[in-house]
Amino acid sequence: MKIQFIKSAEKKKLVSQLNEQFGITNIPYLLLESGKEKVRAFSGSLSKDEIMNLRSFLNIETMGLYFIKKETPIRLSFDAPHLLKDQITKNIIPISEEQLNDWLHGSDLQVVKPSGSYIISLNNDFVGLGKSNSSVILNHVPKDRRLKN
Amino acid sequence: METRKWKYEMKPAFESRLRKLMPSQSDFDAFESIVHTGPESFIRCNTLKISPSDLLKKLEKKWTVKQPFPKHPEIMLITTDLGPGELGNAVEHILGYYYVQEISSMMSPLALDPQPGDLILDLFASPGSKTTQIAAKMENQGTIIANDLKIGRIKILSSNLERTGVTNTIVTRHDAISLCSRLASHNIKFDKVLVDAPCSGEGTLRSSPKTFLMWNPKVIKKFSRQQKKFIAFAFKCLKVGGTLVYSTCTHSPEENESVISFALKNFPVKIESLSLPLKCRPGITKWEKESYSSQTSKSCRIYPHDNNSEGFFLAKFTLLEEIEK
Repeated sequence: MKIQFIKSAEKKKLVSQLNEQFGITNIPYLLLESGKEKVRAFSGSLSKDEIMNLRSFLNIETMGLYFIKKETPIRLSFDAPHLLKDQITKNIIPISEEQLNDWLHGSDLQVVKPSGSYIISLNNDFVGLGKSNSSVILNHVPKDRRLKN
Repeated sequence: METRKWKYEMKPAFESRLRKLMPSQSDFDAFESIVHTGPESFIRCNTLKISPSDLLKKLEKKWTVKQPFPKHPEIMLITTDLGPGELGNAVEHILGYYYVQEISSMMSPLALDPQPGDLILDLFASPGSKTTQIAAKMENQGTIIANDLKIGRIKILSSNLERTGVTNTIVTRHDAISLCSRLASHNIKFDKVLVDAPCSGEGTLRSSPKTFLMWNPKVIKKFSRQQKKFIAFAFKCLKVGGTLVYSTCTHSPEENESVISFALKNFPVKIESLSLPLKCRPGITKWEKESYSSQTSKSCRIYPHDNNSEGFFLAKFTLLEEIEK
């Protein structure tokens, strides 16, 4: 696995973008880019130097959790909103249990919103992210996390 | 015409060995009877994402849920008759609020007793039931190095770590011996090591009845040799005063007490008594022509008919002195 730590200036920029999108003010994780613009969040106790030392003699496949994809607007991973749930204050689309069922089966959400990214929520549960094309919310639930049948 | 009592029959040599472990007829009958039934539906609440009380509220809307162990509210038993795949295809599972995990397999992380600041090595981590349990106990702090050998197993492990929101783990792909050698040669030592060793799987008869057909005594000897190597190399990665838990999902003494006895005879370690929420039978000290260290009785044999679980084995060690590389 490629490991490239996100520098603090870039992290600040990411926080600023996430603040604009979702109200996020802090990312209390070590961020690293693992390829294909994917950024992972690591909360472990090892320092960057210790991780790079391990990297020099171990075959590291992954570390931490897939957090965001660097695109415009930033795409949070399916699991990322849960990590920052106390900070997310805007661009949330509440849905019903019936809509949740369709959403987790991979259906787009029939909700009209200005274009941009939205976090989908049922009560206090964040259930992933969708992208509005101004007529529907496109489903971004990963295929391996969808309900079957 | 002779009628078969069970769908899968035990091979005679397998039955003979189990009878030696359970000499009482009623004990063996209870064992034989339960291993031909499916396992209970245990889940473990993923406290990284939800509290046991909140999960309970959600699940009780559709299932009957029990929390059999008051000291471990995260352990839940679904007593509703479930359809095939129902636990894995529930919204709460998709969201990572629980992990479908057999109760006996939850014992090794409980014995390991992970703490938030620990540095922990999980040598055979996939599919991740124990790694995710350890991460939850650590509250995503400290660091886990979770290792497995094959890329397919690594993918399953990674997917389960993502689903359960684990952020403190580094996943490596190595042969266990190679990994421990590399770590030891760089003087990387862990507070705790879990050796949930590959085994012949005699304890999984309820969930994998094909084990009845696949059982083979040659495999047991092969695993026993490997397991001794694994535990020997794992000790090299342990800090003095650190904890190593060895576990298998098998009943065969060659893969259990023989490995424990080997460790006690060859390494400066102490075997610890275990206090677990399941009934444990003491490890045996004699098997066929072998005599084991008397201390092996401190290890724990989990029998399916004692706990309505799968079969399991575990032992916990403390390293007393530095081991040379």
